[in-house]
Amino acid sequence: MVPNQRGVQRVVTAGLLLAITLLLTFTRIGMIPVPTPAGNATISHIPAIIGGILEGPLVGLIVGMGFGFASYATATTPMFKDPLVAVLPRLFIGVASYYMIALLYKANRKTLQTLAGVLWALLLVFSWQIGGQTLWLGILVALVSTAAAIAAFIWLQKEDTRIVALAIASVVGSFTNTVLVLGMAVFRAYLTAEVALAVGLVHGVPEAIISAIITVAVVATLRQINRKKAGSKLVRENSSTNQ
Amino acid sequence: MASFASLRNISIGQYHPGDTVFHLLDARVKLSAFILALVVIVIASSYSANILLLVLFLAAMYAARLSPRETLASLGPALPLIAMFALLQLLFYGQGPAESRIVLDWGPVIISTAGIQLVVVSVMRLFSLLFATALLTNTTTVSALTQGMEQLLSPLSRIGLPGHELAMVGAIALRFLPILGEQMAVISQAQMLRGVDEESGGRWRIVQNARRLATLIVPLFVDAYRRSGEMTEAMLTRCYRGGRGRTHLYEPKLSSRDLTSSLVCLAFSGIVIWIAYSPLP
Repeated sequence: MVPNQRGVQRVVTAGLLLAITLLLTFTRIGMIPVPTPAGNATISHIPAIIGGILEGPLVGLIVGMGFGFASYATATTPMFKDPLVAVLPRLFIGVASYYMIALLYKANRKTLQTLAGVLWALLLVFSWQIGGQTLWLGILVALVSTAAAIAAFIWLQKEDTRIVALAIASVVGSFTNTVLVLGMAVFRAYLTAEVALAVGLVHGVPEAIISAIITVAVVATLRQINRKKAGSKLVRENSSTNQ
Repeated sequence: MASFASLRNISIGQYHPGDTVFHLLDARVKLSAFILALVVIVIASSYSANILLLVLFLAAMYAARLSPRETLASLGPALPLIAMFALLQLLFYGQGPAESRIVLDWGPVIISTAGIQLVVVSVMRLFSLLFATALLTNTTTVSALTQGMEQLLSPLSRIGLPGHELAMVGAIALRFLPILGEQMAVISQAQMLRGVDEESGGRWRIVQNARRLATLIVPLFVDAYRRSGEMTEAMLTRCYRGGRGRTHLYEPKLSSRDLTSSLVCLAFSGIVIWIAYSPLP
């Protein structure tokens, strides 16, 4: 039998990403305490996202499962003492990121811009719906999503499309975590829908931004994607002499 | 960031050679007992049950000639965070269930007996969890651990799940935990030497904080990937070819010692759960 190098690499990488997840969770470096009912903002889901993006859905799933069990074991609030809230939603973080990157990695600028437009429209509809119930929250969501859409358009003009795809995939992975965990918490009646939505905005948005920044930095380094502006002068000079 | 320096001393996941009962037990027994201990730790939420658990774990640590202080030292860098977290929970937990009394009511800050219990119990739980992990990983070699996991997961292979691969992932994760912890300490010191600001930029400066964190996390990931490449190559040159048809030089057999310790574990778990559900505080 010919040894399957890719398979072995996947097993080893999954192990190392799992180790990083456990390191971040158990030492609480990756759990940032905030005074909301959910207790923690997290960066411990980033290894699952990176595993999904670089090594495929299975590795993403395994690392996500490890994150779920770790957060279940170290849970201090009752809602994370429930495996349906702590473990089950975490399985999908890496999987969602994988399918997003599979879909978008080869996409061109126009497709991405259209996608951003569609997303913005959906968010506006969503904010209108919320505005029907709680006016200020609806206006807030509309303003935030419009600002995000403008920022995304400006950014899309300048950046390498692969970087954009990576950022989108990690944001999707991060929101998969936020939305599924909070959705499950509402479903299992630990939180009410309004509290969950507020927590989702307070945690979910910073978590998504942080995970996008870190994932892009890690994957761009590993895949040797040259970023236009980032990186020090020294690195750029070195890489040009190497070529 | 300076506090990450003590990540060097992380002792969880490292094998401490010895010849105590714990070292001689079959890995399967230790793994099952560990899983049982996790379940018990999660179930037990009263003071008395957690105190008993801590006493039991300390006795076991003593019997296995492990140092509880060394195990707790691996918490070092996270202690300020844990303390802050506990404080926030204490202050903002609210009244909780109806039977809990309010100790202090001061505007939005309500400290109740339920809140105090939650904080104290969660700290005790964290200690129990650390001791349980130390007892498993400090007394078992990585190969024994992998083999034990593989054998426990072997029923899964029959229905098509990759039992061996999952065991391998788990074993690699446990083995690399201390190495990556040490690496993180090295990286944080290296970044400080390069003048990375170690002060956080305040709670709302999200992008700056993420960048600061990225200076630590990104090299950690890149290092992990470099290690995974090296390890893959090392495994392939040693003709590693996955779980199918793999045999072992020594097939471990369960002895009467293993049976007795399993029964002792079950008995203690039963007692702790019984106390957890009894009317004791």
